[in-house]
Amino acid sequence: MSSHDLKPLPAETRSSLLSGHDWIALVFVAMTFLIPVFSTNPQVLSQTNLILIAATAALGVYIMQRLDLMSFAVPSFMAIGGYTVALISMKLHVTDVLILAAAAFLMPALCAIPLGSLILRLKGVYFVLVTFVLTEIVQLLLFEAGPITGGANGLVGMPAVKLFGFELWDNPHVLLTTCGLAVLSFAITSLFTRTFRHEFAAIETNDVLAESLGLAAWKYKAMAFSIAAGVSGLAGFALVNMLMTAHPSSFAPMSSVNYITYTIVGGKASILGTLIGALLLVSATDYFALSGEMSPGLFGLLIIIVTLVARGGVVGVVSGLLYRLVGKTTPLNTGETGHAAQEHANQKEGRP
Amino acid sequence: MTRQALSTSALHADRIAKSFGGLKVFNDVSFTVPAGGLLGVIGPNGAGKTTMINIFTGRLSLTSGQVMLGETRIDGRSTFENALMGLVRSFQQTAIFNGHSVETNLISALRFSKRDRSVLERLAPLLDQFGLIENWHRNADVMPYGLQKMLGLAMALATQPKMLLLDEPAAGLEKSERVNIDAYVKFAQEEFGCGVLLVEHDMEIIKRLCPSVIVLDGGRLIAEGPPTEVLSRPHVINAYLGGSDEEDSDVTH
Repeated sequence: MSSHDLKPLPAETRSSLLSGHDWIALVFVAMTFLIPVFSTNPQVLSQTNLILIAATAALGVYIMQRLDLMSFAVPSFMAIGGYTVALISMKLHVTDVLILAAAAFLMPALCAIPLGSLILRLKGVYFVLVTFVLTEIVQLLLFEAGPITGGANGLVGMPAVKLFGFELWDNPHVLLTTCGLAVLSFAITSLFTRTFRHEFAAIETNDVLAESLGLAAWKYKAMAFSIAAGVSGLAGFALVNMLMTAHPSSFAPMSSVNYITYTIVGGKASILGTLIGALLLVSATDYFALSGEMSPGLFGLLIIIVTLVARGGVVGVVSGLLYRLVGKTTPLNTGETGHAAQEHANQKEGRP
Repeated sequence: MTRQALSTSALHADRIAKSFGGLKVFNDVSFTVPAGGLLGVIGPNGAGKTTMINIFTGRLSLTSGQVMLGETRIDGRSTFENALMGLVRSFQQTAIFNGHSVETNLISALRFSKRDRSVLERLAPLLDQFGLIENWHRNADVMPYGLQKMLGLAMALATQPKMLLLDEPAAGLEKSERVNIDAYVKFAQEEFGCGVLLVEHDMEIIKRLCPSVIVLDGGRLIAEGPPTEVLSRPHVINAYLGGSDEEDSDVTH
């Protein structure tokens, strides 16, 4: 090997920490702060509230999807976050929103560590099954642990939360609280998933290879499970704050299907997909006046359709169309750009 | 690598045995790969060669015996701990991160093994020879099989291991691509000071590269020595090759 005819190593491709999709999602969520300024229509406020809570909860699914794990555990951790907040504000009379948010994040995140050490050994359908059973167990505990959780009555009559002593009590204020929690959750999720994007991508595609190169895969799985639980807890906080009640029915095991649907239908490859999925499907549920019993069935059908015809979900399809129109690819969540990303996108959609 | 570091990285298997239930994969096998040295491992399919690599890396546990890397006992430890200590393997099939560019694959190998980009600069001549630099930004899983295989090997070397366990690196490569394996092994030894355990079916490669081989058959170590001499022993021919005139047909597998 003579040195003079060697090809030099190409310059390092630098990819920014947050991708375009992360920024769009963050700005979009942050813009909901403006809604109470322009509208006092209770219908608009409540609908925005529901969409933001749904999107925040679905982030728990999105994070676990980085590891190719399908988590049904979101309602369990929402319940832990929601009931923690209800108990602290009603029993300990702490109503500061910052303290409550910290508790709603930390309590489920801590609970997830021992749980994760048990169930993160599982993969594929076994992980799905155990996380689903977990939501059933938590549901049962909420009903049975009456002295703490209020049993079938739940915890009713939560006081309004306060920010720096200012009471956030009416509808616009409740929406602002939800907006704040949603922005926080989207920021945590973006920063977390993008900081460790190489690690997550490697575990998702080939965990045996990743470990053989020196990656402690269990550490990243445990972190992801814990952060996903914390973010779900923030969604639980937003939900009980909106309802002023922590009740088992808010955390029904079947609601996990909804959160999974938002992420898959919106497009699981980017955080924007989770937001778009929640926006479209929560609006559709309202528009078509779908009753609670019908939606899991219809959502199941939607998942099948998306999985069969458009793996990338709404965001994947729109990115693909944009690419064909503009001849330029939007950044994938993997942080790849240009040729490799497009080859990959083509392959995923079955194009040559 | 300093002489002191080299002396702590010999791989020593001491009377190792592995069985799955009643099935004995191998029994009472002992050998040493010297630090910076090269040992070939041959044997028919099912002789326990890949199982042995899985045990050394920590994916499987031993039934009895022990494995040492330098002064450290490594059997039963987790794969990533052993990898971070410098014991890194390659895979028989292609093993890459699908959907990512050649660059991202190599950068991931650096990140996971806590190495910096300077290792890539040192690897550049080899990467260029394999044709990986001209495919730098290509999605790795749409590259030809041979390139994917060489990328997997380059990723293992990018971790700057002390001891490389190569599981049939030439399997699936065309004859013209197999010289890359020679270049790779020589580069690993000369530039990085790696010890190499080379499991291979291609007897030409074994003869070209290995000063010494061990032969596994039916879970036992049946011969040890320089390849040309070992391969001419009648019991090795009987056990493994089934007759010396079939050697060439084995080469093409």
